[in-house]
Amino acid sequence: MEAVKQGSAAIGLRSTSHVVLATVNKTSSELSSHQKKVFKIDDHIGVAIAGLTADGRVLSRYMRNECINHSFVYENPLPVGRLVVRLADKAQVCTQRSWKRPYGVGLLVSGMDELGAHLYYNCPSGNYFEYQAFAIGSRSQAAKTYLERRFESYDKYSGEELIKDALFAIKETLQGEVLTSKVCTVAIVGVGEPFHIVDQKKIQEMIDAMEVTGEAVAEDEQGDDYSTRGATSMES
Amino acid sequence: MVTAMDGSSMSSSADGLVNLEMDSQRTLYPYVTGSSVLGIKYKDGILLASDTGGSYGSTLRFKGIERIKVIGKHSLLGASGEISDFQEILKYLDELILYDNMWDDGNSLGPKEVHNYLTRVMYNRRNKFDPLWNSLVLAGVKNGKKHLGVVTMLGVHYEDNHVSTGFGNHLAVPILRKEWREDLTFEEAVKILEKCLTVLLYRDRSSINKFQIAKITEEGATIYPPYSLKTFWEFAAFKEPSKNAQGSW
Repeated sequence: MEAVKQGSAAIGLRSTSHVVLATVNKTSSELSSHQKKVFKIDDHIGVAIAGLTADGRVLSRYMRNECINHSFVYENPLPVGRLVVRLADKAQVCTQRSWKRPYGVGLLVSGMDELGAHLYYNCPSGNYFEYQAFAIGSRSQAAKTYLERRFESYDKYSGEELIKDALFAIKETLQGEVLTSKVCTVAIVGVGEPFHIVDQKKIQEMIDAMEVTGEAVAEDEQGDDYSTRGATSMES
Repeated sequence: MVTAMDGSSMSSSADGLVNLEMDSQRTLYPYVTGSSVLGIKYKDGILLASDTGGSYGSTLRFKGIERIKVIGKHSLLGASGEISDFQEILKYLDELILYDNMWDDGNSLGPKEVHNYLTRVMYNRRNKFDPLWNSLVLAGVKNGKKHLGVVTMLGVHYEDNHVSTGFGNHLAVPILRKEWREDLTFEEAVKILEKCLTVLLYRDRSSINKFQIAKITEEGATIYPPYSLKTFWEFAAFKEPSKNAQGSW
């Protein structure tokens, strides 16, 4: 659980037709590239992780396998709710065997299925919850406060509006640092729109538009967060 | 892998010494068989029809076999071929639907998923040279979408607006091709099916004059009680057959 809190932020928001994931790309040094935090699991499901990226990769591989196996037998995409339960059960096993350690990664699972749009949070404990909007990782409290204020209207939002709100929320977690498209990754999945990472250029355009119209983040939050800014190179 | 003298291969088991039983597990020929199944899409859903006979070779041994069953909330399954294999398939599907219901999460297996699952089962058995000797018709409606498909004992699978198995492929398909339209009413669809069933009754020696029609719509499934069709045997050509019959038909 601590590893999740120390990883860099990941945010998810959902409407009835779309789900957006956004993550902050933290690099361990100026010379290195950032670690991948958003994974496409299937055309209709994607995850954003916070915590030990290696664990996140392994779980992503597991999820991709489950999705593909289901598609092969049933020729229909795996319902998101069923995938997260399997993921949660897998995580739970590690909490009950003395020779295993829990997966040190929190996952925000976003997906579309017959029942609509879903956003789930899977934690290392094996618990999972469904959310309208959520944020995990370091300084996520700032984002959560922002989302708490706005989430009630999210159901009717279009994909674009969700992305805009996600960028605002990311801005909260940056706490003063400049928001550019290099610093964040945004992905979206929705009705008629398979899961994909939004192009960097488009994100930069949206960020610029945010500043121009003066939609300043007037809401003053006192993010009572974790002051841990350092992170080991394992986490991102 | 052990190869017996007749060229059949047995699958290897963990203990290679105890495979005396292996050969008898292969299906060589069917014993109690059902005749054709017909399926047709109409405006509100799908109709399946079959007779209720089970033949033991050339004997019409069983006359009350229901060859169309309801699967879950959204589908109907009809089968021709070996009846015991059909019952086995029903058991597999029962288990599948049970596990699906146990999730209790609002998701349910639709006809497309069941169709594909059956395709996998049939194809895998065929690859082991131990087929389930059936031609299956899977019909269902989910979220307004109608699905009507066939899976054969080889694993061949396809979907269409109207399907049939067995002798139906030869006798009913031409009638269905000519008369099927989008937006048939229930009564029109029944009439077309009855026309096909009558032809099958006249010309398929393993069919009997006792049929069942089953309907599936968004609301649910209904299997109607069995009934029989009127037949006419007073054609002039049937009297003094050796005098009037022309050709070998």
